[in-house]
Amino acid sequence: MSDVVIETRKLTKEFVRDEFHVIALKDADLEVRRGDFVALMGPSGSGKSTLLHLIAAMDRPSSGEIRVLGQDLRALNDRAIAHWRNVHIGFIFQSFNLIPVLNAIENVELPLKLTHLKAKERMEHAETALTLVGLGDRLHHYPRQLSGGQEQRVAIARALVTDPDLILADEPTGNLDAGSAQEVLTMLSRLNKEFGKTVVMVTHDPHAASFAARVLHLEKGLLLPEGQSAEWSASQPAAS
Amino acid sequence: MLRNLTFILKSSMRNRRRSVLTITSIAVSLCLLGVLMAMYRALFFGGPETPAQAVRMITHHKVGLADVMPMSYENKIRRVPGVKEVMLWQWFGGSYKDARDRRNFFARFAVEPDRFFTIYSDVAMPADQKAAFLQERTGCIVNAGLARKFGWKLGDRITLVGDIFPVTLEFKLVGIYTDPENHEALFFNKEYLRESLGADSPMRDVASMFEVRARNIADVPRVAASIDQMFDNSPAPTRTESERNFELSFVAFLGNLKLFLLAICGAVTFTILLVSANTLSMSVRERLREVGILKTLGFTQDAIVGLILGEAGVLALAGGTVGIALAALLCGGIRNGVSGIQNLRALAMTPGLALTALGIALFIGLVSSLIPALGASRTTILDSLRYSG
Ligand SMILES: Nc1ncnc2c1ncn2[C@@H]1O[C@H](COP(=O)(O)OP(=O)(O)OP(=O)(O)O)[C@@H](O)[C@H]1O
Ligand SMILES: [Mg+2]
Repeated sequence: MSDVVIETRKLTKEFVRDEFHVIALKDADLEVRRGDFVALMGPSGSGKSTLLHLIAAMDRPSSGEIRVLGQDLRALNDRAIAHWRNVHIGFIFQSFNLIPVLNAIENVELPLKLTHLKAKERMEHAETALTLVGLGDRLHHYPRQLSGGQEQRVAIARALVTDPDLILADEPTGNLDAGSAQEVLTMLSRLNKEFGKTVVMVTHDPHAASFAARVLHLEKGLLLPEGQSAEWSASQPAAS
Repeated sequence: MLRNLTFILKSSMRNRRRSVLTITSIAVSLCLLGVLMAMYRALFFGGPETPAQAVRMITHHKVGLADVMPMSYENKIRRVPGVKEVMLWQWFGGSYKDARDRRNFFARFAVEPDRFFTIYSDVAMPADQKAAFLQERTGCIVNAGLARKFGWKLGDRITLVGDIFPVTLEFKLVGIYTDPENHEALFFNKEYLRESLGADSPMRDVASMFEVRARNIADVPRVAASIDQMFDNSPAPTRTESERNFELSFVAFLGNLKLFLLAICGAVTFTILLVSANTLSMSVRERLREVGILKTLGFTQDAIVGLILGEAGVLALAGGTVGIALAALLCGGIRNGVSGIQNLRALAMTPGLALTALGIALFIGLVSSLIPALGASRTTILDSLRYSG
């Protein structure tokens, strides 16, 4: 596999609903290399989530090319895509999206249920992941018994438990207070630096973006050339 | 599927109040369904066939019970290979006290005391009473339940006024037996009837039924066929059927009831199907967002359908189990409460019925959740995630 983890060419996504017709992403050319930590910034509605969903194969492009980890995503059927996502992608949501009836370790174990691992191994992996995010003592807590920051750390553990190549996060600190946000960002940064994971993170927050090695800007569905941004943005091209 | 069991179980109890209501509604319907099925079975298939009953057959005239066979058939039947014993089994009818009072009705048969206990190997009676039954020509024996009902004691006099047979017979009660099926019946010596009829009565040497006992269960169909074959071309051809079948032919007239019971069973099943379809589709909708999360983690559409069906299955089986347990209790209550309808004494929630009812419960759960499950699994990830239920 080449060093290029994400490669898109003229990637376009249009939403057609009844009367109206939205071009959420237009002709995006993106290249992300192994080990990159990329922040996607841009105003609301600029197409950040849309791009992230296309990379995660959670949605299909209207046109253009997209290769992720060497795989042409358009060539996979739904079943193959589900499996591909399970193996290669760890996705982190703004609103955590834990399953409320499952406790922390069961939530983290969930993606492993789709693997060939035995119950005991799954639990061990899940425990390791939770320990890694500093929740080794909260294994059996339910989401409602955790703070927002802890919930998001459980979600991070769930995203990394399958040891995916690519971690995608859609405003992971959007629902968190400053302290929790700092913890989450530090963790993503560690995953990137210590574990060599490629991370793409959507954020509104310049401070969050400062953790990334590259910051890319979207504007009305257009991916701006690197280093370029709309005037509103207090962009910092790279963290030192 | 099995590895998702904890998840399925936890999900099914997510909204506790609704789950309890769903389980309760399935339980109540299945209880009703279970009792109806047990009634259907008791009325139209009788109680469980005991091993002793399974080797017994009834031979009667091919045309019906009103036609008679020569008494000489008895010895011919006895020589059929596989036959262990055969005995005259003559319905006497008649009336006891005031026949207009239905409580005075019970079965009365003329039999051969020396063969009786070979045929009815499952009937128990003290040895001295057996001896008395053999010796005393006017002796009769009755089922313990019947004796209790009329307050009869050994030595009591019982008078039957004949109708088919133009005689009045006075018996002395010499034995009280117990039988597994607790049929209310009185048996007496056929010789007493023959004597009472007089030497020139045409009813003396004819029989309307023989009770045949095969050596073993496997022989039964063959023995029955051989007997009927033997008399096929005679003036009085026979029909030999298992005792069980014979008993059941008496409820054939309940044909309308049969349809009625089936219709109620169908209506109950259909109603609960609609109710649970409604409940389950609501609970699936509420969790559409979770479906999106699971798909993001890599769960396929099939896996999602499996989870939702599994959950519905758990609720249905829980409801079904409770309902069947209730039905079993109810059957017991009804069985001990009624005495008028002989067949309802066999009313019971047998393992076979319980499994059938459980199967119906599972079917209801799966069918009623299939459409919501398919709907949810086909919703795109982004649409499901956007759903805030
Ligand atoms: N399923 C959809 N149907 C119709 N339009 C959609 C759909 N999803 C997104 N859009 C539109 O596409 C555009 C880009 O949306 P997207 O969610 O990618 O924006 P975003 O940059 O993530 O915004 P935010 O910062 O608010 O999350 C928006 O105009 C949005 O209304
Ligand atoms: Mg967004």
